[in-house]
Amino acid sequence: MGAYEVNGTVAEHDEEGYLTDIGVWNTDLADMIAKAENIDMSDAHWEVVNFLREYYEEYQIAPAVRILVKEMTKKFGKEKGDQKALYALFPYGPAKQACKIAGLPKPTGCV
Amino acid sequence: MAAATSTFKPMDHVHGDPLEIPELACGAMAGSKPYVAAPGQQEALGFPGELVENWQEKAINRLGELVDNSRALRVFLDSCVKCGACTDKCHYFLGTGDPKNMPVARQDLLRKVYRRYFTWSGKYVPWLVGAQDLTKDVLDDWYSHFHQCSQCRRCSVYCPYGIDTAEISMAARDIMDTVGLGQKYSNEIIGKVFNIGNNLGLPAKALKATLAGLEEDVEEETGVPVRFPLDEKGADILLVTPSADFFASPHMEGLIGYAKVMHEAGVSWTFSSYASEAANFGMFVGSQENMQKVAQRIHKAAEELGVKRLVFGECGHAWRVAYSFLDTLAGPFDFLDQNYPIPQHICEFTNDLIDQGKLRFDKSRNDAIRLTFHDSCNVARASRMGDKPGGQFEIPRAILRATCNHFYDMAADTIHEHTLCCGGGGGLLTDELMDVRLKGAQPRMRALQQVAEDHGVTHMAAICAICKAQFSKVLPQYGFDMESIVSVHQMVSNAIILTGSIQEQDYEAARLSVLQEV
Amino acid sequence: MLTTAFALSFYTAALVLAGGLGYRIWLYASTPAPLKIPTTPAPLTHSGVAARMFREVVFFQSLFNANKWIWLFGWIFHMALALVVLRHLRYFLQPVPEILVLVQPFGELAGFAMVAGLIALWARRLIVPRIRYISGPSDHLMLALLVAIGISGLTMTYVAHTDIVAVKGFFLGLMYFNWQPLPSDPVLLVHLGLVAALMIIFPFSKLLHAPGVFFSPTRNQADDSREHRYVGSARLEAMSRKA
Repeated sequence: MGAYEVNGTVAEHDEEGYLTDIGVWNTDLADMIAKAENIDMSDAHWEVVNFLREYYEEYQIAPAVRILVKEMTKKFGKEKGDQKALYALFPYGPAKQACKIAGLPKPTGCV
Repeated sequence: MAAATSTFKPMDHVHGDPLEIPELACGAMAGSKPYVAAPGQQEALGFPGELVENWQEKAINRLGELVDNSRALRVFLDSCVKCGACTDKCHYFLGTGDPKNMPVARQDLLRKVYRRYFTWSGKYVPWLVGAQDLTKDVLDDWYSHFHQCSQCRRCSVYCPYGIDTAEISMAARDIMDTVGLGQKYSNEIIGKVFNIGNNLGLPAKALKATLAGLEEDVEEETGVPVRFPLDEKGADILLVTPSADFFASPHMEGLIGYAKVMHEAGVSWTFSSYASEAANFGMFVGSQENMQKVAQRIHKAAEELGVKRLVFGECGHAWRVAYSFLDTLAGPFDFLDQNYPIPQHICEFTNDLIDQGKLRFDKSRNDAIRLTFHDSCNVARASRMGDKPGGQFEIPRAILRATCNHFYDMAADTIHEHTLCCGGGGGLLTDELMDVRLKGAQPRMRALQQVAEDHGVTHMAAICAICKAQFSKVLPQYGFDMESIVSVHQMVSNAIILTGSIQEQDYEAARLSVLQEV
Repeated sequence: MLTTAFALSFYTAALVLAGGLGYRIWLYASTPAPLKIPTTPAPLTHSGVAARMFREVVFFQSLFNANKWIWLFGWIFHMALALVVLRHLRYFLQPVPEILVLVQPFGELAGFAMVAGLIALWARRLIVPRIRYISGPSDHLMLALLVAIGISGLTMTYVAHTDIVAVKGFFLGLMYFNWQPLPSDPVLLVHLGLVAALMIIFPFSKLLHAPGVFFSPTRNQADDSREHRYVGSARLEAMSRKA
């Protein structure tokens, strides 16, 4: 596997770049993972990432895309809160790519 | 770190005959391999953590056991005459041109080893009959090419002996698991089913919250308190659906459709958090032991909840396991009401209600959609709906025609039992296999392109969680809208008129004005 | 000497064929089929399955749907072979039944059709890249063997007649253990030698597709898993009961 290195600390990740220990996550690390994914973190990106982490803390899983859309609609209004807008932020899929940046495990299954 | 990329540009390939036969491109896909399962993921399923030292001996022994326990495998390994009928039938061959993706050539990867160790001719004149030792190179070839088979059975339709490459690739994967070389995607998922109850790893608390959120959404949309019950003992119906329905789109829109139908039918029903998964990846990895363990969860949940009926949501291979295998693996289901099919498909359930005139639809609500239907391979070629052969083709279409004014089928040689796999089935729906998934989708994408040009088709419906997820990913690459893949019950959800709903008022008002005009 | 050699070869060949094929059929029949795996849409009843098998075995229905050329050449070859074999029964039966007398002229013509079908199949094996890729030495040799049997047979019918009465005497003698001399005609000896070889190879080769097709679960199972609980393997059933 490999590891991310930020500010002298080493964070191991799996073959696909997901952190193996979600406890080591911090915002610098998120920035670094985002960079590897060719994503410049904007406020909107951070909203998504922070929501994912909150949701995960409560439920031990990332939220469904529909739940994420609903949350973003609440925060940013209808035009920014649809699935397409989320894909514009995270081209490889809000669930998978945003989870990676948020340091969460990848959702598995037929998704 | 997204999927492995290649020079393949889908947009250059979207036009043309879906079944066009490519030139042979030897070795083109040799590099396509899924990630190997980690030791923990292997051991959770009863397999060795990593490739064992005496893997060759163990693999050969396992092959012998499998052949002794499967008439299909034994007959299929013996009978092939290399006639070539199947050579142009696999969507992965059509999309990649790699000759090892021709069904017979894929089978031969296993058959040559079978011949070497289990047939007289292979033992004494291996060069004559193409028998080969099981070397590390052969094992690598297996790992690559048996993970380029979606077990869709299209080849078995055309083989004069009915040889089904799915059976061969299941056996090969079972052997690889047995020697400690498992596939991460499938095995991690099976482990989650054992630990958490579903492929997704969705805990009961999250499931409960998700369903509660959907109840709010639907009430907001319709004004009707449609319920999404979970773990309700004494309900009449247990609905088992792929966990993707609780998570992804357009799956979840289909789930909303199931709930609306159940509500309108006035039946009592429930999901189970213990059996919160219809999918059964035990089939994909060819492990009957694991497939049986997953299947038995459904029996247990049905018994504990005390339900009378068992209904399955939209999931292709899950329906195969449910329809064809469930009673064998986890039966008998003698505690259920024998007056209903055991199990029943949600499409059968909905279509029965339509036939009885119990559901009302405002088809105009789907007027922005010009629709086609993708037959999912496991439903089409490994199961049935209704009481006549081919009901699996007619019933979903009947639902779509009842809910949508504009329906057009794709070319006849790409639908029904001739249907083309979405490209992501059989345990291949993982990011590192995106290259083969994109190429394997090419025949279907071409067929879709044809109806888009000929009939202005904008959307394609499916009844399989894998198809839906795969198409969401590959459609944009082929120039279609990501959201042009829809669930069949999403179409139902859009058009259904719930009693007492906001939509009913509009619907009645519109009907009244039409009547007055007449 | 020649008669003895050929007599012993044919006894051996017949034993190997019957024993080998019998063993294989026993293996197919006794190997469990744990799960229902008919390729659907499939018939719902056993009589429906019988009809499906009939269409497969007599008309090669699946092959017809797959590829018209392979179907045409393959079907011609197999039907012609059936006629040829039927015609050859006259060398083993005394008196010759009426039906075989009727078959005789068609059987003779079928010899040509059989060789033509084989050569067309062989040409595809050499010319079509996909089929060339999947063809091994044994596939070519099998075609060579069958073509050689056909041509040597046709040669005796149309070019260099052999003493067919004596040949029949030889085979009847074999059957009744009362050996009669075999004519030492070279074409005849080639023809018979190759037939004996084919009989011996049969149970060890892809010719097992002949019994195999009847045992193929994707074709011979009825689609009735919801109507009748299917139990195909004691092992799975034991696990099912335990749970």
